[in-house]
Amino acid sequence: MKLSILSFLTLAIFLTSCIGDDVILDEVPEVVRILNPLDTLGVGETYQFEAMFTNNIGVEEEREVVWESSDPAIVSIESDGLATALEKGEVVISAQVDIDGASTVREEISLVVDEETVVTELSKSGTIRTTSSYNLSGDFTVTEENGTLIISISDNYEASTALPGLYVYLSNNPATTSSALEISRVNVFNGAHTYEVNGVGINDYQYLLYWCKPFNVKVGDGTFE
Amino acid sequence: MTNRNIIISAFLILVSSSAFAGGGWPQPRGWGFFKLSQWWLISDQHYTDSGQIDPNTTSGLFNTSLYAEYGFTDRITGVAYVPFFSRAYFNNTISGTTGETLIPGESINSFGDTDLGIKYGLTLNKPVALSATLTFGLPLGNDNGGTQGALQTGDGEFNQILRFDAGSGFAINKMAAYANAYVGFNNRTEGFSDEFRYGIEAGITFWNDKITTIGRLYGITSFKNGDLPSERSNSTSVFANNAEHLTFSPEIAYNINEKWGVSATYGVALSGSLIFANPSYSFGIFYKLTK
Repeated sequence: MKLSILSFLTLAIFLTSCIGDDVILDEVPEVVRILNPLDTLGVGETYQFEAMFTNNIGVEEEREVVWESSDPAIVSIESDGLATALEKGEVVISAQVDIDGASTVREEISLVVDEETVVTELSKSGTIRTTSSYNLSGDFTVTEENGTLIISISDNYEASTALPGLYVYLSNNPATTSSALEISRVNVFNGAHTYEVNGVGINDYQYLLYWCKPFNVKVGDGTFE
Repeated sequence: MTNRNIIISAFLILVSSSAFAGGGWPQPRGWGFFKLSQWWLISDQHYTDSGQIDPNTTSGLFNTSLYAEYGFTDRITGVAYVPFFSRAYFNNTISGTTGETLIPGESINSFGDTDLGIKYGLTLNKPVALSATLTFGLPLGNDNGGTQGALQTGDGEFNQILRFDAGSGFAINKMAAYANAYVGFNNRTEGFSDEFRYGIEAGITFWNDKITTIGRLYGITSFKNGDLPSERSNSTSVFANNAEHLTFSPEIAYNINEKWGVSATYGVALSGSLIFANPSYSFGIFYKLTK
């Protein structure tokens, strides 16, 4: 009797104490982004555009990018994204990636051709929002200076201090940290502060992601607008 | 017992409550109560700091333990809770889009945090049994397991718990019954917040003394005088700091004979803060040493 009970307990423990699987919904739209847009290109000058494609889980993939100029007489663009300004005017430059033979994703930017080249001053902003029951809110802006991404969190920012191990990430998928770039452990829970990330472009990521590492749970996010 | 203190608190309380032991009654001299138990909690949600329930990666905590009470004198009883095998894990995180493993699960196995205590009977042979118990919580578990240090079988701190029990036995239709209430203070170290503990329980034995049913309601309130959870990195599951809960836990025991028996316990947090929100379970086999 006692042996049977112990055997049952042992079996029950072994059956329930194994690591299982938690399946998460992590599908995001495939996108192509022009990483280094330009305001104005000087007549006779060239500029190398770059683009990045992220797949349906937000992971960067090498794909063939088809570059086009809306008016090749004003700006010509080669298959590798090298643009040449031929005469003054305004065009639309597009980068397009074929997904599966039936659909494509595309991004377009306007480009002016004039006397001198003017590099676009890149700046984005967004709002941090909670996706949990933990308090998290505030605005932020993102700028890029000399190859460093500067994330400025506004003074209206608030975050719960109840979570152990709250971290902030840059991500192209707001559902997971699996392909995200960890920025820092969160040490400021109220007011303005700044994160600096070297070697990251302003168009490399689409989301700020707040994640509790010990519980492995998402706390909130902010989309780059 | 805490969120890393959260989850620990609930867990230790659940495992240290045993049928036919505890309460205001010390064991008579030379008598004892010994129980081999398996306790487990598998949780995919937790109470947040606002008392709401949020999902989390499924985590499991298992303890195989020995609980013992032995009467050194009629007034002084030694109490030990020894989780000699403790396992903690969390699940793999799988992409629903690709089926790939995004974050691999992990597990640890170790000895668990152990309680050693002395209960002193303040009254003997009185209608109301009063006792005081001093318990030392020894941090013998792992408080920093796994690649992120988030897997725990202990909270890594030394507890000192002073608890007062008041219990009374009576009969209901010739069936033996009892009721007990307690309050306690847990002085914690290593930056963990101190705790106020409380509980009530009642039990009745019937069917020719074969079956005992017990109902318990107990809780922990944190004084929140320690580190903020955000200041700690290894404060999860039942081991979180500033964890609080109010738990209902029924138990049923079957007395195989006068000395041996088995019991099953269910525990669910009715409310809480920074603690797992799923029910816990335990099975055990116990032995009563009498003269």
